[in-house]
Amino acid sequence: MESLLHFARGPLFRLCFMIMLLGLARILFLDLWEAYRAYRKAGDKKMPWRLIVRRGLEWAFPMKRIWRNPQLYSFVSILFHIGLILVPVFLFAHIDLWKSAIGISWPALPFRWALWLTISTIVCAAVLLIERLSVKAIHSLSRGQDYFWLILLLFPFVTGFVCANLKIGAGLYQFLMLVHVLSGDVIFLLIPFTKMAHCVLAPFSQIIDALAWKFPPATDQDILETLNPNH
Amino acid sequence: MKTKVITEQGRDKALATIKKPEVIERQKLNVRYHIEDLDVNDRPRRFLEAFAAILKHSNYRMVLDHFTRVTARCSRCAVACHIYQATGDPKDIPCYRSGLLLDVYRRHFTLGGMIRGRITGGGYITDEKIEEMADSFYNCTACRRCALECPLGLDHGLVTHLGRYILSEIGIVPRALVVSVRAQLEGPYHNTSAVPVPALKDTIEFLEDDMYEEKSVKIKFPADVEGSDYVFFAPVSDYLMEADTLMGIASVFAATGDSWTIGTENFDAINYGLFYNDRIMERVIKRVDSEARRLNGKQVLIGECGHASRTAKNFLPTFCGGSDSLPVLNILEYTHKAWREGKLKLDPDVVTEKVAYHDPCNLARNRWIVDQPREVLKSFCRNYVEMTPKGEDNICCGGGGGAVSIDEIRSYRMTIGGKLKAEQIRKCGCEILVAPCANCKKQLRELVEDQGLNCRVVGFHDLIYKAIDFDGSLKVQHEEDTTLDPGKYNPGRPSDGKGK
Ligand code: SF4
Repeated sequence: MESLLHFARGPLFRLCFMIMLLGLARILFLDLWEAYRAYRKAGDKKMPWRLIVRRGLEWAFPMKRIWRNPQLYSFVSILFHIGLILVPVFLFAHIDLWKSAIGISWPALPFRWALWLTISTIVCAAVLLIERLSVKAIHSLSRGQDYFWLILLLFPFVTGFVCANLKIGAGLYQFLMLVHVLSGDVIFLLIPFTKMAHCVLAPFSQIIDALAWKFPPATDQDILETLNPNH
Repeated sequence: MKTKVITEQGRDKALATIKKPEVIERQKLNVRYHIEDLDVNDRPRRFLEAFAAILKHSNYRMVLDHFTRVTARCSRCAVACHIYQATGDPKDIPCYRSGLLLDVYRRHFTLGGMIRGRITGGGYITDEKIEEMADSFYNCTACRRCALECPLGLDHGLVTHLGRYILSEIGIVPRALVVSVRAQLEGPYHNTSAVPVPALKDTIEFLEDDMYEEKSVKIKFPADVEGSDYVFFAPVSDYLMEADTLMGIASVFAATGDSWTIGTENFDAINYGLFYNDRIMERVIKRVDSEARRLNGKQVLIGECGHASRTAKNFLPTFCGGSDSLPVLNILEYTHKAWREGKLKLDPDVVTEKVAYHDPCNLARNRWIVDQPREVLKSFCRNYVEMTPKGEDNICCGGGGGAVSIDEIRSYRMTIGGKLKAEQIRKCGCEILVAPCANCKKQLRELVEDQGLNCRVVGFHDLIYKAIDFDGSLKVQHEEDTTLDPGKYNPGRPSDGKGK
C-alpha cells in the first residue's frame, strides 16, 4: 500500500498534472486562437471593453450574486467554488506536495480555516447533488457528467477530512489516503476533457460573447454560393 | 428578482386565471405556421448543409466551440427567462434551448462528438429534432436576459439567433417576417408595410398641419434634403400608427435647429434580418447605409425602435465600412443631449399621471440606453415610478425577436410571453407606460387590452410632444413668417441654411 501511495502521489500525480496542464493549454490556445481569427475577420473591430471587464469582474467576485434568486442555490454554489479553489491550493499539507512537484511554495491557510472550508465544501457538494436530483429545472438539464463530477469531487474532500481530523487506524488511514490521492489524480486528468475546462475558459466568456456579435462583413454572397453552387 | 419557478399546479392556475378563453399551452401551440412545405425527409441533410455553409463563412464556430466546452448545466438561467417562468416547462429553460443546437454542433461538427456518436449510435439529427428546434427557437424572444444570469457567459439569445438563421436557410421561418422582408427588399416601396412614397408625403403633411394647429408653430418634416446632419429612419409603422411619436421627434428638431431629413427612397428602419437571417440583415442594413450616403448625411438616426437601433448601431460598422461607417444614433440619445444642453423646454404641469418607463431589450441589455430617457422623463413627469427589475436587467415585453409581428401567436404572447411583464406593470401601478420601441408598443398595448391592465402605452416622444413648450419668439416668428427655418428657432444659434 505504501509504495502504491508513493506512486500515486509521486509519478502518477505528476503525470496527471502534466496532462491537465497540457490539455488546458491546448483548449485555451484553441479558444483564443479562434477568438483571434474571429476578430481578424470581423467587420467591426470596436470591442465594448468596459462592459466586458465589468461583467467579467462581476462574475469573478460574485458579491451581487450571492443572494440572488434562486438564493440557496446561488449561495451554495459560490461557497462550493471557494472551497474547491482554496483548499487544494492553500492547505499546508498540499503545499509540501506542490513544493516537491514544482519546487515552489506559498503561505498556507490557517488550520481552522482549512477545516471549515473543507466541511463547507462537502456540505455544499451534498446540497448541490440533492438539488440536481430533486429540483425539476436542474434535474431536467443534468447530464451524466454533472452528477459524476459532484460525486468525484466529494472523494478527496471527505477522505482528506477524515484523515486529517479523525483518529483512525493506520491501515484505514493509508487506504483513505490512497483514495484521496487517486481521486485527486483522476480529477486532474479529467479536467481538460470535461465541463471542468471552464476553470480556464470562463474568464474569457465575456470577450467571446462580445466577439460573437462581430460578424465578418459580406457573407451574404459567400453563403449563397456555398449553398447553391449553380446559382 | 423574486419570482420563483412556478410549479405544475401554479402554471395551470396561472393559465387558468388568464381571461382569454382560448388559452394556448405551449405544447399544444400550433407552430406549423412557420413551416413551409418541404420534403420532410430531406430536412436533416439540408439543415446540416446550411449549418456547414454558415459555419464556413462566419464566426459562429468560435462561439459554439467555447459554449460546448464550458457549459455546466447549472440551470441558473431558468430564473431569468420570462418564458420558462411562465410555463415552468423544462424545455423552456434557456440552457436546454441552446443545448438543442449545441448538441447538433457537437455531434456533427466536432471530432469528439462524431466519435462518441458513432460509438453510442445516438445524437444524430432527425426531423423531430428540427421540429423541436423550430418550436423552441421561436418560443424564445431573443431578449438575452438569460445571458446576464449565466455564470459561464453563455449568450443563449445568440444561439437562438443562429438556430433561426440555419432554420431559415431551409425554409423554416415565420411567414409574417418573410412577407415583410420581401416587401422591403423586393417590393416597389422598399419598406416592410409597403407604404407608397405619396402616402408617406401625405402623412407628413398631415402631421405638419396637426402640429401647426396644436402648437401654433409651423414645423417641417424635411424629406430628401441633401447634406443634413441626420438622416432619420423610423420604423415604418410609426407613419401609420404613431403620429405623436413622430410629431415629438420633429418638435425636438425644431427646438434644436439641427438639420435632419427623411429619405424617400428608404425610410424604414425595420430590419427583421436580426430575427432570422444574417444575410437578410446585411442586405437591409446596406440599404440604410446607401440611403444615408445618397443624401450625403452625416449620421444615421434611428427612431423609436429597439431592434432597428441595435441592428444599425452594431451592424452598420460590420457591413458598411468598419470604423469608416457613418455614426449611428438613437433618437433617445439625441433628445437626451438636446435636453441636457438646455434646448428643450418641457412643461412640468402637463403630464401629471403616474409614468413608468419600459426598457426595450435591444436598447437596455448592453446598457446602451438606460439612464438617458429616465433623466428626461423625471425632469418633467412629476409622478415618475420605476418598475423592477429595470435597465440592463429588464423583463422582455414578450414580443421580442419578431414574435410581435406574428399575429397567429397573439395568444401565446399574451398568456406566456407577456405574463411576467403584465404582472410587473400591474405591480408598478403606472397610468402611462412609456415604451420607445415600435415592437414593444404593439405588444404592450395588446397586453393592456387582453390582460385588462389599467394603463396607456405611449412612445417617449409622445410625452415630449405633449410637454414641449416653444418659446414666444418662435410663435411670433411663425405669425410673421409661416415657414419654419429650424436655425431660427434658437435665438443666438446661427442659421446654417440647412434643413429647409
Ligand atoms: S433570450 Fe430571453 S426568451 Fe430566450 S431563453 Fe433567454 S431569457 Fe428566455
